[in-house]
Amino acid sequence: MNLGIDKYLAFSVLLCTSGVSVGQASFEKILMTQIAASGWRPSAELYRNPDEGISEVGRKIFESESLSLNGNISCRTCHQDKFGTSDGIPNAAATGEGRLAVHGGGRIVGPDRLMAGAKLLPRHVLPFWGRGGVGFETFFWEGKVDFSEGKEISQFGAHPPSEDALVVAVHLPVVEIREMLNEDEFVTARKKESVEQAKEVYAKISSSLQRDEPQASQAIAGYLNKSVGQLQYTDYARAVAAFIRSEFRVKPTKLEHFMSGKETLSQDELRGGIIFYGRGGCVLCHSGAYFSDFKFHLIPFPQLGFGKNGFGVDYGRYNTTFDTNDLYKFRTPPLYNVEKTSPYGHSGSVKTMEGAILAHTDPLRLVDLRSLDGYSRHEYYTRLSQSGEVGQKVSYLSDADVSQVVAFLRTLSF
Amino acid sequence: MRKKFIAGMLILNVSGAVSCIGLCGKFVVMPYLAERQYKEQYKGLMFGCDYSMREHLIAKNRFRLQPSTASEQQLESAEVGLTACHDYDRLRKKMLSMGLSSDELARFGLEAIEEKASDVQAFVRDHEFRY
Repeated sequence: MNLGIDKYLAFSVLLCTSGVSVGQASFEKILMTQIAASGWRPSAELYRNPDEGISEVGRKIFESESLSLNGNISCRTCHQDKFGTSDGIPNAAATGEGRLAVHGGGRIVGPDRLMAGAKLLPRHVLPFWGRGGVGFETFFWEGKVDFSEGKEISQFGAHPPSEDALVVAVHLPVVEIREMLNEDEFVTARKKESVEQAKEVYAKISSSLQRDEPQASQAIAGYLNKSVGQLQYTDYARAVAAFIRSEFRVKPTKLEHFMSGKETLSQDELRGGIIFYGRGGCVLCHSGAYFSDFKFHLIPFPQLGFGKNGFGVDYGRYNTTFDTNDLYKFRTPPLYNVEKTSPYGHSGSVKTMEGAILAHTDPLRLVDLRSLDGYSRHEYYTRLSQSGEVGQKVSYLSDADVSQVVAFLRTLSF
Repeated sequence: MRKKFIAGMLILNVSGAVSCIGLCGKFVVMPYLAERQYKEQYKGLMFGCDYSMREHLIAKNRFRLQPSTASEQQLESAEVGLTACHDYDRLRKKMLSMGLSSDELARFGLEAIEEKASDVQAFVRDHEFRY
């Protein structure tokens, strides 16, 4: 009798667990198929570095405050490893006064820098993961450097300093007032937004680097078969770009191991992936090798800070194209290491990944409308009313769904 | 002779005092009063003018890219909306005549544009950004 019950129990357990494993295997197969179909590629296929030979000396330039003509700031100041190559705060805290230094010569960074009174920029610092890799040709929140699909959009118009989009992108922060440049007499006299005037600023930065980074300058000059005195800013930009490509390249993730059969995903990660590629509609924009279509969409993240256009307004891509169809749109963020780059959104107004997902599916939950002044409420209403394209793509997600998508996104970390 | 000297000194001193008071009034008191009286109003009018100009540019670009009767009407409305800059311009000229400098007015403008910067610090404090 007991044996019969034991057999019955054993048979039931076997039936249930085999049913579970059959279901799990189906989901895994579905997910693998969807990931492959969306343009995902192994990390090794994404790396390219035409100037590999100067990537290590590029680190020296990346960390040199001589990149800033008069602002005592380097790329590293805002792109910190401990903040996932961002700076851990909503709006960037850029140039500032001497009290931003710490005893021993370092610089205060991140939240401490913001609270110490550094000048604010209106956008969240973008991380560097995968930048300049194969197919990564669109840079900045509003795509003001965009060499994708045969385009050559940049502030340099018809004469960009390089055919390499990342090298062109490295030209911009050093001449952006308040970002890496303070407004002194020299800068004010040349603040005419003309390429010719910018050349004088670049020449001065180049001279500073030649003076303050002699060894690095020598190494770059040697690589390029030039004398140190012939070096131009573009040469230093190539070194910085080489460093960025090397240091922040995409590396194997749990997802990649899953795709190659070396690792399995947890239930939550698997379910999250199915939502990501299914009813969540995330893949409709977060597709391709970097989980970004590199196009521009309006997601009604709350606006924090004074915004690129002042008074709490940020028109996004419109500031680059002046096409009214581009109002309030921003580039789809790539998602590698997304769990490390909090906060989220163009103005860093959302602290958690859960909140970032809600900005797509349930944005009204993120905003206390009663705490907004009339104009801010009007602006938010305007953005919501124009975000219909996204509203039609995403479904409602429960809190449990959102948690599962977050679990899936964590598999993109390395 | 002595009486003439004293009278002359008196006139000189009174003239000097009046001049000092006048100069103090023009270069110190009037600008101070102008700032106290009109600064917030100036910031409000500046916002209104900036908003109208942004809306006008958007309407102009929309009409250029998608010409239609609707976008043309929107542009015409936006052009009328630019009258908001008239009040801003008038107050600006008044404040300049009261002794404030262009740089000081630019500073007020920047304060208005970046008023929401303090929201960022409050956000970081409230959400306890710690690493």
